[in-house]
Amino acid sequence: MKNIILVILMSVLLVGCSIGEKKLRIFKLEEPRQNLDLPKPTPLQLEELRWIIITSDNAVEVFTKMEEQGLDPVIFGLSDKDFQLLAKNFARIRNQLKHMNDLVDKYKEYYEPKKDDKKGE
Amino acid sequence: MFGSLKIAMVAILITGIGAAGMYVMKLRSDNAILKVNQIKLESAVADQKQLIENQQKDFQEILEANNKMNQLLTVLKKDLDDLDKRFNKKGRDIGKYAIEKPKVIERIINKGSIAATRCVEIAGGAPLTEQEKTATKKSEINRECPSIANPNYVPYQE
Repeated sequence: MKNIILVILMSVLLVGCSIGEKKLRIFKLEEPRQNLDLPKPTPLQLEELRWIIITSDNAVEVFTKMEEQGLDPVIFGLSDKDFQLLAKNFARIRNQLKHMNDLVDKYKEYYEPKKDDKKGE
Repeated sequence: MFGSLKIAMVAILITGIGAAGMYVMKLRSDNAILKVNQIKLESAVADQKQLIENQQKDFQEILEANNKMNQLLTVLKKDLDDLDKRFNKKGRDIGKYAIEKPKVIERIINKGSIAATRCVEIAGGAPLTEQEKTATKKSEINRECPSIANPNYVPYQE
């Protein structure tokens, strides 16, 4: 009887030892995407334009001067109020342009840091 | 009877010894695996630490970028408000001024137009000139957009 119990115990002991250690599996991060690296557009170089102020008093003088300068005596006009609106619109477009341009710079700086910056980290 | 019992005992003993040997072998193999696991775990912990550090650095960068963008928006809005003030300060009417002094206003408008054009160039990414960078006086600045054209100019408090 003792032997039978011993055999059973030994079998249990041996079977218990057959459960081995689990091997760890570590997943590595995938290689990040390549940088887009698109070049920035060439900065704008705008043409200089000249404003002419016409009043009911100086209209004839202005048109005569324009003719003397070889320009067609015609004016594409704006009232003083519309001129203010144009100036403000221009300023808003400029602000938007600056905002977008800086956003692109920040994104590029963040997602595509220069190699020197990476070394410094 | 006793003979067969002896054989059984011997068989069990041999099996036991064999099993013990195998068990020791398995223990050694497990030990080797555990050592490898330990190395992997240590490396994973180091990776995690690096990852957390990088995340903190990224978070800091995001915060700074947000602050800078907010600052930019504030100064751009101030430039726009200043433009509005220039047109309407103390009930100013540039239409009336233009009727009275068309030549003077024409000169001022053209000067402002050149400055505003330069502002668009800068906003589009054109680099600042040395003169723009070093301007600190009101007479030296681009009055249309000092916030982006003259980084060293500190406006007076009015």
